[in-house]
Amino acid sequence: MATSEVVSVGARPVVLGARRLVVGYHGKGILPPIDLEIRRGENWVVVGRNGSGKSTLLKTLLRLLPPVDGELIRPSGVEVSYVAQRHHVEPTVPMRGVDLVAMGRDQDWSFLNPFRTPDSYADVLEALRRAGCESFAMKRFDAMSGGQQQKIMLAQAIVSKPDVMILDEPTAAMDVVAERATLDVLGQLRQDLDTAVMLVTHRVSTGLRQADRACYVDLETQSIVIGAPDDVLRSPSFQRQFGDHVNCDPGHEDHHAH
Amino acid sequence: MPTEALDAPTFQQLIDAWDLFRDPIIVSACAGGVLGYLGVFVVLRRMVFAAMALAQAAGCGVALAFFLEIHAGLPKGLANPRAWSLGLTLLATLALQWPGKKVITREGLLALVYLVGGGGALLIGTRISQEAHDIQAILFGTAVVVSETDVHLVLGFGALIMVWQLWWQRGFLFASLDHECAQVRGLPVALLDAALLLMFAVYVSLATRALGALPVFAFSVLPAMAAVAVCSSPRLAFAVAATLGVVAGAGGYVMAFFYQFPVGASQTILAAAFVVVALAVRGVMFVVQQVLPATSTEAQPQPAQGP
Repeated sequence: MATSEVVSVGARPVVLGARRLVVGYHGKGILPPIDLEIRRGENWVVVGRNGSGKSTLLKTLLRLLPPVDGELIRPSGVEVSYVAQRHHVEPTVPMRGVDLVAMGRDQDWSFLNPFRTPDSYADVLEALRRAGCESFAMKRFDAMSGGQQQKIMLAQAIVSKPDVMILDEPTAAMDVVAERATLDVLGQLRQDLDTAVMLVTHRVSTGLRQADRACYVDLETQSIVIGAPDDVLRSPSFQRQFGDHVNCDPGHEDHHAH
Repeated sequence: MPTEALDAPTFQQLIDAWDLFRDPIIVSACAGGVLGYLGVFVVLRRMVFAAMALAQAAGCGVALAFFLEIHAGLPKGLANPRAWSLGLTLLATLALQWPGKKVITREGLLALVYLVGGGGALLIGTRISQEAHDIQAILFGTAVVVSETDVHLVLGFGALIMVWQLWWQRGFLFASLDHECAQVRGLPVALLDAALLLMFAVYVSLATRALGALPVFAFSVLPAMAAVAVCSSPRLAFAVAATLGVVAGAGGYVMAFFYQFPVGASQTILAAAFVVVALAVRGVMFVVQQVLPATSTEAQPQPAQGP
């Protein structure tokens, strides 16, 4: 049965949302309609098994895919940034990490004013510091490890001081220490800049306890559950899939929603 | 042998016949520079084989124009080789954008366009023996002289494309480096992609008519490969690729004069030599970095001013 359960509503300004949004491909929806409101400073975690439709939902929210039906809400002036699961930057790109991060400030590009607004580089240095990239920022991108490249992409997403940041499995290739450090960066960002964060993961333990809101997506049972993490964990849809065997305690690293 | 030494072309002969060589050298240098610059996008977007396929399609268009004029009786005005070259290149560009990737893969499409272009040109070439030399010149770049119209078109469109490139460079670069992030940041990625492909297709068709498919493909790929291997910023890579393209175009022509090589092959080999040198430099840089611990990576990061 197709279900979409919405549990509670906050009170802060909405930075990104959806009303009766149907996501899918070629005009065919793959999940039931979804209603959600991401509010300033909120911490969202989207969980689900591989192939459950998480990335389709995320890409639709980012306008990388057109919605099949329903409405996307994005108030004007809201700055959105995105960290992909795997960056799409050509590995041999002749760029240092610091230059790639500086590119993240590019916004409001227009045909008549296509040049970057002159800025100080203080924001670039700040983003590098926040993401922990200072020590390797001057290296060529292709000389960095996969983890370092991912941190550079995180810094690139931070540099524009976004209102909402969406991350697609950014910690999938990280060990538990690096994952914890990345989650700390995101937590600090929310605290300092009131940025809303939406973290998409198939690893149920990742950040779920720290999340304000959770969204469970299941293509197989055609269900979407949205609410406080505990409510989502206890929801019938989630319980049907995982039972009581999920441990979201900090440091518990091995709960994959395979 | 003494007689061979006497027969070898001299620098004085090149100077004396400068009026004859000036236009092809200028066109080669201009095409090399513009395609070298655009080639950075070709390499970063992994479009190398697209460049090759488009150059073949352009060559096929020229051959088709000759065929239609000679055998189909098309008036000279309608059988303009430049127009047919441009038309087929744009058609090939559209074919490469075919959305049905599940029916035919991108690699399959590239192969199809390349083979139809190359095979078609050779096939048509057998039916127009009176123009066989021209067809050979177009496909393999043995053209020694270029027409005044070609000079104007290659220089004019070259200047236009460079102005457009420099104006929208930031958008073209971001859209080429990270398609999805650029789209999320609000860049009109589809339009930027279309503009980039259009200017590449137009210039490939013009340059192919003037110089031949082989050197055009070489200029579109090799200078950029060399630049990307040794440069640490895109701005520098664009400048180095354009410079190497200019040197490969003009230098290859001069080399062909002195050593009596086919022009297109000479330009291609010179451009390939730049890649070999660049890879060697990159290897030395790597060894130096391994031997001397990089103090620069611990320095305060300083971004380049713009891309």
